[in-house]
Amino acid sequence: MATTATITLTSADIAGDPVNVSKTATCTKAGATTDLDQTIGLNRVHLRSTTNKVLLAANAEGNNLAAKVYIINKSEDPSLYLTITINAQTVGKLYGGDWMFFPWSQTDTSASIEVAATNWTSSTGDIPVEYALFHEDTDFLTNA
Amino acid sequence: MATTTAAISLSSDITDSNVSVSNTADLNTAGTTTGLNTMTSVTKVLSSTDHVDLITTGSVSTTHAYVYINNPSTDHTEYFHIHIGNAVGSGTYDDSTLPTEEIGTLYGGDWMFIPWDVDDDITIKPSVSTDMTVEYMVFS
Repeated sequence: MATTATITLTSADIAGDPVNVSKTATCTKAGATTDLDQTIGLNRVHLRSTTNKVLLAANAEGNNLAAKVYIINKSEDPSLYLTITINAQTVGKLYGGDWMFFPWSQTDTSASIEVAATNWTSSTGDIPVEYALFHEDTDFLTNA
Repeated sequence: MATTTAAISLSSDITDSNVSVSNTADLNTAGTTTGLNTMTSVTKVLSSTDHVDLITTGSVSTTHAYVYINNPSTDHTEYFHIHIGNAVGSGTYDDSTLPTEEIGTLYGGDWMFIPWDVDDDITIKPSVSTDMTVEYMVFS
């Protein structure tokens, strides 16, 4: 079983010459060539909280194990964003249509991935968020 | 303004029903449909296991950027710890006391792509002191 992630970055005009970068990663267990073998699958939630909610709860047993996280803000409004936080450290803002893919170290149980629909109001509508986690061994629970 | 896109194709056959996701994002300035116009592309060789700055906030003039980091090593046992926060250099590197949050461990062959709000530096710690190459791009 294999999980692969390919990124393609392209721009015809951000530099004097076209930019075209493509890279495929085969997601493996920590420091090994063995494929990741567990996933929570693809999930969808609708956020309307301006304060942080746990999207993926860290498990200390996951420290030093491999885990890959995919998150996308499915809002069609480019001004609506999610604030992505790990252990009170803001990573960045995921605007409508944006996605992120990154390895996740669960150094301790405080390293949960939290999201907030920071500029949501009752008139903006919910922010649909889709996410997936691919990992090895330990158990993960989500409570978004 | 420039037009820059970031596409992901994600597939997995771990489960009985496969996961197959494809999405493309236009990289725009914060909350707009105006394309970003600045790009930095760097290849760096790190020759110690010190925890050091990779991308400093001072190198970006906005508060919204996208960062791509790649570990091009073909050795899966060689990895980088990627953090946001202050680097400790050659000082004590202890997960529980670091003035920084580890995002993840980028093993050989892995890449990551994240939005970055440019509040704190992005820092890195190689697993070995033999030359390790890291590649990164910043769009802002």
